[in-house]
Amino acid sequence: MSEYSVSEMMTVLIARELRDGDLAVTGASSLVPVAACLLAQQLHAPNLTMISPAGVVNARPKRLYHSASDGRWAVGAEAIGTGYDLFEMSENGRLDVMFYGGVQIDQKGNINLTGTGYGDNGRPRFRGPGLANTSFAIVSGRIILFSASHNRRTFVENVEYLTAAGHLDGAGGRERIGVSTEGPVVCVTPLVTFDFDADKNLQVRSVHPDVSAEHVIANTGFVLDQSRTWPTTLPPTPEELRTLRQVVDPTGELAA
Amino acid sequence: MGRAMKTAAGRASKLNSMRDALAVVRPGDLVALGGLWFHNNPSAAVRELARSRVRDLRLVAAPPSSYAVDLLLGAGCVREATLGHVSFEHMGLAPNFRRAAETGAATIIDADEATILGGIMATLEHLDAHPVPSVRGTDIMDSPIAHLSADGVVAPLAMRPDVCLLHAQEADIYGNVRNLGTPFCDPLFAKASRHVIVTVDRIIDNDDIRSAPHRTTIPGYLVDAVVEAPYGAHPASSHGRYTHDEPAIRAYVKAGASQGEWDRDYLAPFVSEPADLAAYLALVGGAAHIEALAETVR
Repeated sequence: MSEYSVSEMMTVLIARELRDGDLAVTGASSLVPVAACLLAQQLHAPNLTMISPAGVVNARPKRLYHSASDGRWAVGAEAIGTGYDLFEMSENGRLDVMFYGGVQIDQKGNINLTGTGYGDNGRPRFRGPGLANTSFAIVSGRIILFSASHNRRTFVENVEYLTAAGHLDGAGGRERIGVSTEGPVVCVTPLVTFDFDADKNLQVRSVHPDVSAEHVIANTGFVLDQSRTWPTTLPPTPEELRTLRQVVDPTGELAA
Repeated sequence: MGRAMKTAAGRASKLNSMRDALAVVRPGDLVALGGLWFHNNPSAAVRELARSRVRDLRLVAAPPSSYAVDLLLGAGCVREATLGHVSFEHMGLAPNFRRAAETGAATIIDADEATILGGIMATLEHLDAHPVPSVRGTDIMDSPIAHLSADGVVAPLAMRPDVCLLHAQEADIYGNVRNLGTPFCDPLFAKASRHVIVTVDRIIDNDDIRSAPHRTTIPGYLVDAVVEAPYGAHPASSHGRYTHDEPAIRAYVKAGASQGEWDRDYLAPFVSEPADLAAYLALVGGAAHIEALAETVR
């Protein structure tokens, strides 16, 4: 029996990737990244600004709410922006971090939320939810990828529909279309933390405690570099867990 | 200190019944739906539209949408829909949206915030099109919404909805609207649309509006009809008033497993049969149930 849930672990791992002063924007179905922002504000990033997809700036909720745009996030927040404020950021940039998950995430960190199994009629066999904002993948300083599932259906060699831009066709891909932001820098899953090699391919940066390399390989749909032993992820510290549970998530929404 | 001027006699009320307000919607109209995800949806208004059996609508919705879009698709009212994200987040995918996209029952135009709001902004700025350079490198570039300018930049064409349906928490009878949470894209949709219908949880006095004019989010000159619709966003939330009805939404998603089940288990009992909003509310548990949701919904 582990002393923390997968969601708690992913929250802590994402929080460590956030920097003091970041302006971070969260998306749909993003309880883990939202909690990570709130945790980072408590631990090492008091000057991090978090904006929800409803435009709520610096929420200070009594507890975590499962819907990203639940009206209760606004209680105690510093400002409530509008769709126009998000549109402004979509074009102007301004944000440092955006979080994306995917129906598919490919080896280059490209994201598909639109559909899979496209036939000659142009229709998908599986229609995904789609994406409210693809622009943030272009204009955000960097992207943190996350996925609640780690299997060959999610982690594929090439996305079938490119909904949001990762590293496109690889190193230099973003620069070739005139994009100067970093793109995806890390991807946190229940099994590993990925980062990108020089060719902009996802590689295992560390494998989480009690996860075998064989299990990771069997559940990843592209080839991983195994020329060196993968280090083990530093598990959540007692202080990280205490702050998460006492301050950020007192009702245990991430504990299940 | 002199007495404040009274509103002159003869100022027209914009208060309408739901049925009269929605009667302006015609087959083929482009209808804009406000709110975001399952929050602040004009839910009672779209159920009225579905009951009226209007067909061939074209929809555009806030970039993250949910119930209102999915219901009109399931009821067969929609020919074409320009959409970003459609889901019930942690409660599941939008079943009728998925089915429409997979079967081709309606044409789904893949869009996102920049491409939808770009088209809206073009209308607001009186331009033919509004460039959104940030939509680059993606397959949305191949969507019909991604009209290209002469220099190859995505520049959605001006979008002017025929009718705009919004739900807010409060308004006076002159159409001065107050959002108690995020107005999100609603003010932009109101400015871009030819005919704006706002349902509100409650009608407040014009003096109330005047006591805090900075809180008016959509001024009355943009609004054509106001409908008093208490709990009119249900099963969506109404920000600052009540929380979304998670059990009701989960039942909606479950009913959507097939068109037949959805027609039988949702469309008939919750849309077609209730004669009006009051009958619908009685069916879903009434005001007490909805007011208590904030205590139970996680």
